[in-house]
Order: sequence, then structure tokens, then C-alpha cells
Amino acid sequence: MRALLHASPRTAVPVRAALVVAAVSLTASACGGTPSASRPDAATPPSGTAIRLDRPLPKPDLTLTDDRGRTFDLVKQTAGKPVLMYFGYTHCPDVCPTTMADIANAVKKLPQAEQRKLRVVFVTTDPDRDTPKRLHRWLAAFDTRFTGLSGDFDATQKAARSLGIAVEKPRKNADGSYTVNHGAQVLAFSPADDKVHMIYTSGTTTRQYSADLPKIIKGAL
Amino acid sequence: MKRAAAALAALLLATGTAACGSNDKGSEDKGPDGPHLAVSGAYVKEPPMPDMTAGYFTITNTGRDADTLTSVTSDLAKHVTVHTTKPDGSMTEAGPLAVPAHGRLVLRMGGYHVMFIGLHRKPKTGETVTMTLRFATSAPITVNAPVQPAGYRPGDR
Repeated sequence: MRALLHASPRTAVPVRAALVVAAVSLTASACGGTPSASRPDAATPPSGTAIRLDRPLPKPDLTLTDDRGRTFDLVKQTAGKPVLMYFGYTHCPDVCPTTMADIANAVKKLPQAEQRKLRVVFVTTDPDRDTPKRLHRWLAAFDTRFTGLSGDFDATQKAARSLGIAVEKPRKNADGSYTVNHGAQVLAFSPADDKVHMIYTSGTTTRQYSADLPKIIKGAL
Repeated sequence: MKRAAAALAALLLATGTAACGSNDKGSEDKGPDGPHLAVSGAYVKEPPMPDMTAGYFTITNTGRDADTLTSVTSDLAKHVTVHTTKPDGSMTEAGPLAVPAHGRLVLRMGGYHVMFIGLHRKPKTGETVTMTLRFATSAPITVNAPVQPAGYRPGDR
């Protein structure tokens, strides 16, 4: 498994859906994000891995509030549309903004018609602090068309789990700081069957998204 | 006389051999005494909102002794700390970080990063942020880090 995930980062590797959960813990090493002071490749920029599931994952039932304050039923409102989904939080200065920026930069390069078809959904793992208003402001920095979702944490956690992503309830620490986590991967739902066929692990670059987005939008990936 | 000459010759030979010997070993065990640090690739992310952001750099140690990064300071924010993103996607404050002899300490997306909280200003791409890195042994190093867009990768142009 580890060998498969370390395979050429730009090759989609067929794996069992059950092993998606393993991808969460292996991501840090797969994308070179493990802090290692003496590795010779330490200066190589990290990139993510595109994983094709041979058992696609269905879209979870999830109704939350979107970043404009409206009720948003994920299944109903994105049915038949290509969707990129990410579970993150806005008080995350490292991975979350980079992930959204990478996606946004790839989206900008698409023809207008394709941009209009694609839905990018950011689901917060920190609903107490990430109100719809805050989500809207944060996402606007990347693309005003991105949708932010905030709401019941348990429902969010359940939906994430069904997609192979483990998120823990945010904890406020004694010193006032928070411990929150984010998903390690971006999920791509095909418009053909509203299921996840492709997963992009942390560190996936704009170039990698640019290569795959046209196919995802067409329902060909 | 002959013995002295022989002894001298032996001494010279020994010295010569020693010199050759250490040259043969290459630069692995040589290098300046103590740690010898240089910082490269520093940058700060332009954040989507004015409350926090991340910074990165690589510290290369060409010396024969390790050192430790003990703190990072900057006038950009009230609180400046080094954090690490763990494999489960959560972040924690990292303690002092080792910079190994003949090695590197790399801060990068998804791993160690400088976290700036309580920004005094919102950094914009094109600006510069000054960071001072402090160490257990080496003198502090001040870095002027360019502000880069959120999707920037070192090595991108």
C-alpha cells in the first residue's frame, strides 16, 4: 500500500475504497510533508498524489448552512454537477489556504463554461469559529464562487467519515489555543454518478488539478 | 645524522600522509568548527484574512556540529511560533527544532511552519516580512522574507 501511494505522484493508482482511510495517515509522507531535517530530498517541493478509487464513494447526506446563510442540501443542490470537496477550517494558516489557492488557480485557467459547471465546496471542521460570514470572507480571497458549509459538527464528522476522512471535534486548550484538524485530501465527485472517483492528497498542485479538472467536469474521470 | 634525517623524513611523510588521508576522506568530517548555518527559501504567505498567516524557510548547516532553532520573532504579529502540521491534519506548537550537522531543517507546507497570529498588518504579495531566527549556539539570523501568494511553491516561477 505504501509503495502504491509513493508511486509517481501524477499517476492515478487504482486502490480499494477501504484503503482510503489509510491515505489519511500516509499522506504526510506521501507528499513529502514529514518534517525531516536530514533527508537529502528535503528541498524537493512536495506534490500530492491522485488516487482513483475502484469502489467510488457515494455523496453523503449532509445539510448545513452555506456561506450566504442559506440551508444547503449537499446531495440535492450538487446533483449532476462535478464537485470538489474539502474539509478544513479558516484558522489554519498552512495547508488549508494553500489547498484552496491551488484549486482556485486551476479553476481560473478553465474555459468559462467549465468554470460555471464546477462546484467547489469547503466544509468547515470548526463550525463554532467558522460562521457562514467568516467562511464567506475567507473563501472570497480564493474564488467568490466557492461554497462554504458550516453546521452541526456530528453530521459533518459522519459525512467526512463516510468519505474516508477522520476529523476530530475541535478542542480548546488550557492556554486558549485550539486544536482543530482538517482533511488530508480533496474529493472529486463525478457529475455522471455523483460519486467520488478521484482523491487528491495534500500538496496536490495547481498543475495537477489543471490536468484533471477538465476530465472530472466532463464526467470522464 | 642519518637517523635524524630518516626521522625527519618519516615525520614529513607521516604529515604528508595525514594530509592526504584527510583529503581523501573528502569534506564529510571537515567543515567549520561548530554549526555553520545559512537560511534560504524564506517566504511568508499572503493570507486570505488579516488574522493569521504562515511562513517558511530552509536552514542549511554545513558545520560539523548540530544546532537548535529556539525561536522566531517578527514585528509582523503579536505571536510568532513554529508549528507543525501532523499527519492527522491537526497543528501543534513545535518545541525547539534540531538543525543537524551537515543537514537541514526545512519548514514547508504540510510540515513545520512559522505561525503568525495577531497580525499587525495584512501582508501582501510583493512586500517583505522580517524574521529573526534564534539558535542555541549560533548567532541570530535575520531574514527578509518576500510575501508570496497562497498557492506559491518554492521552485515555482
